[in-house]
Amino acid sequence: MLLPEFEYHEPSTLEEALKLLSELGGNARVLAGGTDLLVRMKQKIEKPKHVISVARVPGLNEIIPRNGHAITIGAGTTAATLARNEVVRDRFLPLALAAGRLGAPMVRNRATIGGNLVNARPAADLPPACMVLDASLKLKSVSGERKVSVNEFFRGPGETVIEPNELLVSIHIETPPPWSGGSYIKLGARKTLEISMVNVATMLTLQSADGPILDARIALGAVAPTPVRAYAAEEMLVGAMPSEEWFQRAGEVGVGMCSPITDHRGTLEYRCMMIEVLTKRSLGLALERAKAWKP
Amino acid sequence: MKRIVQFTVNGESVEVAVTPNRTLIQVLREDLGLTGTKHGCGLGDCGACTVIMDGVPVNSCLVLAVQARGRDIQTIEGLTGNGKLHPLQTAFIDKGAIQCGFCTPGMIVSAKALLDEDPRPTETEIRTAISGNLCRCTGYQKIVEAIATAAEAMSGKGVS
Repeated sequence: MLLPEFEYHEPSTLEEALKLLSELGGNARVLAGGTDLLVRMKQKIEKPKHVISVARVPGLNEIIPRNGHAITIGAGTTAATLARNEVVRDRFLPLALAAGRLGAPMVRNRATIGGNLVNARPAADLPPACMVLDASLKLKSVSGERKVSVNEFFRGPGETVIEPNELLVSIHIETPPPWSGGSYIKLGARKTLEISMVNVATMLTLQSADGPILDARIALGAVAPTPVRAYAAEEMLVGAMPSEEWFQRAGEVGVGMCSPITDHRGTLEYRCMMIEVLTKRSLGLALERAKAWKP
Repeated sequence: MKRIVQFTVNGESVEVAVTPNRTLIQVLREDLGLTGTKHGCGLGDCGACTVIMDGVPVNSCLVLAVQARGRDIQTIEGLTGNGKLHPLQTAFIDKGAIQCGFCTPGMIVSAKALLDEDPRPTETEIRTAISGNLCRCTGYQKIVEAIATAAEAMSGKGVS
């Protein structure tokens, strides 16, 4: 399959990249891993006049743990790196799990967290994990920088609040409190090379190993125009003693927060059934990990 | 406008003049004559185009040639040394892991990347490593056995 023609830019500094974006803005697309953009260009869905590669901008693919209580992940970090990184696996497990289910090994070696977030496909793997971790996204432009919560980032399929002259440079996540645990479940017809039919990420924080739920977070993908937080289900769980019954109820409430469609991957009815089942299952896994939390 | 891009392929430095919209697989096959790497879907979904870039397996159909500047590329052609087949290639032949052969270069390259990193993989690790390589002929069983056999042969290489 052939790529259409375009002008290629390979800035070697962030300043250069931001300057190019401000000049070319709407006529340019940022190229990171290429596993989304180049596919869309080959399918003639997108035909940007300019392509700005950020592969040579230094610092974009670094993972920087901060003083044991937070982490800053460069937007150019690949899914493969996230899946393997020990700090991410230890303290931000939903993100490592989601990254490990993205595409397939070769795709994971190129696909980036920045690309996965900015492309904003409703069924994307990384957004629900970032949402239950309350990630903060740093957007930069020639005029300055701003931080946006990932929970306020998505507007619709393929649409986010990012401006044409902005670049997503990093993702910042605070370490979850003690007695926290999370999970990520991806449902598809295959275990690999698959776009989710339903995916769910959860985080639970307990008061103590045997204590009630202090905080609950549930994010669902592929079941609405954007990934969504099931806030009503979360609020319902706060203060409750964790149990299968509560998780079942949370799953039922979660269904109400979604608006899935019927497409070639699954029917609306089946997706609704799966939201219930997978939310409950994911909360169960999060609970196990919360109880097993170690400092 | 063409750009001059320099990178290393199977240990040799190469220089090509490419327009930005040419992919690595196009340059490998059409400019460098390395037709061992196969074009399957062109969209990163089948793995027929797998090459190793800077030590990790990638879909060469989704890498622009200009992005390969300065990088180290290994293709299926790079596995044969001194006219001898690589243990992976021998194992694929011996185990009947090749039918039409179209997925084979990609499979072997993915397997090589796995064994480079993990010389003693479990069956699950083998299946995960090739989970981006589709085969329409074999049902994967013989391929997995071949990779396991090659792993044994390679790690069992006696100390002289």
